[in-house]
Amino acid sequence: MLKSKVVLITGSSRGIGKAILEKFAAEGIHIIACSNKKNNIHIDYCRKLSRKYKIKIYPLFFNFNNQDNINDGIEKIKKLNIKINYLINNAGIITTSSFQMTKKTDLTEIFKVNFFGQFYFTQHISKMMIKTDGSKSIVNISSSSGLDNDIGRSVYSASKASIISLSSTLSKELSAFKIRVNSIAPGLTETDMMRNNTKKEYIEKTLSRISLKRIGKPEEIANVVFFLCSDLSSYVNGQTIRVDGGMH
Amino acid sequence: MNNLENYKKAFLSTFPIKEEQLEKLEYNQIDEWDSIGHMGLMSELEEKFKITLDTDDIVDFSSFQKGKKILKKYKINI
Repeated sequence: MLKSKVVLITGSSRGIGKAILEKFAAEGIHIIACSNKKNNIHIDYCRKLSRKYKIKIYPLFFNFNNQDNINDGIEKIKKLNIKINYLINNAGIITTSSFQMTKKTDLTEIFKVNFFGQFYFTQHISKMMIKTDGSKSIVNISSSSGLDNDIGRSVYSASKASIISLSSTLSKELSAFKIRVNSIAPGLTETDMMRNNTKKEYIEKTLSRISLKRIGKPEEIANVVFFLCSDLSSYVNGQTIRVDGGMH
Repeated sequence: MNNLENYKKAFLSTFPIKEEQLEKLEYNQIDEWDSIGHMGLMSELEEKFKITLDTDDIVDFSSFQKGKKILKKYKINI
């Protein structure tokens, strides 16, 4: 369906990002696979996917917490000299602390990676996407926290809410260039990041609020990302789609 | 194609204008050079000259003439 297209995925080495990488690879789409630090296991895995699905994968490494690093990443992407159809802004970090216990450094770091970095990066990549023919889409990975504003997640929730707001604005501004922009708000998803930052009691409490009574799988998020890039969603723009098993 | 020709071509392929209009062309002077058209022009220039324009320069890029000065910073002499 999306053959011969190119997707750029940030935060592609683990969790939801890795599932997105696998999904797009399986669909035969060429991939610029970005992640924050050089990782030979990830490189080998990209090579394996590349051979299995006969696609090109370009692993690139740069961190979103530093503008010089982002600039470096943008230059590397430009040097590839390929047209980008889809941008998946998935890179993100999390911190859990009550409002009064939140350190200024955490506040700054979370917003640097989850918002400012993505904002700046998207400014540049979307400019490149203008020159791409055919279908074009940006999917920003937010979180159900950005909508539900969970206790202990004041900074994280605010950063993810800002992504939803940004997506909505971009969907209006970039529509002139036929670029659709949507965001996804995953609920509880089985990733290392979720396990390392969510207390067991909180997981159990949240499970009781999920209609499907289970934690989501990263590939279930990846499937919706793929849908939002495909022409099956050609009339979907400026939306935030919850993928949370029916959280109430 | 030299730098000036490339520079002019970026404008002419982005906006429905004639070459004679370029020398005095300014941002917002024609309907098509609005904030959306500006983004298209910047994208065209970045691709043509293989550069990445800094956001401050994109904001400062207010006319055909001003653009020439800005591109000098990127070692593109027009």
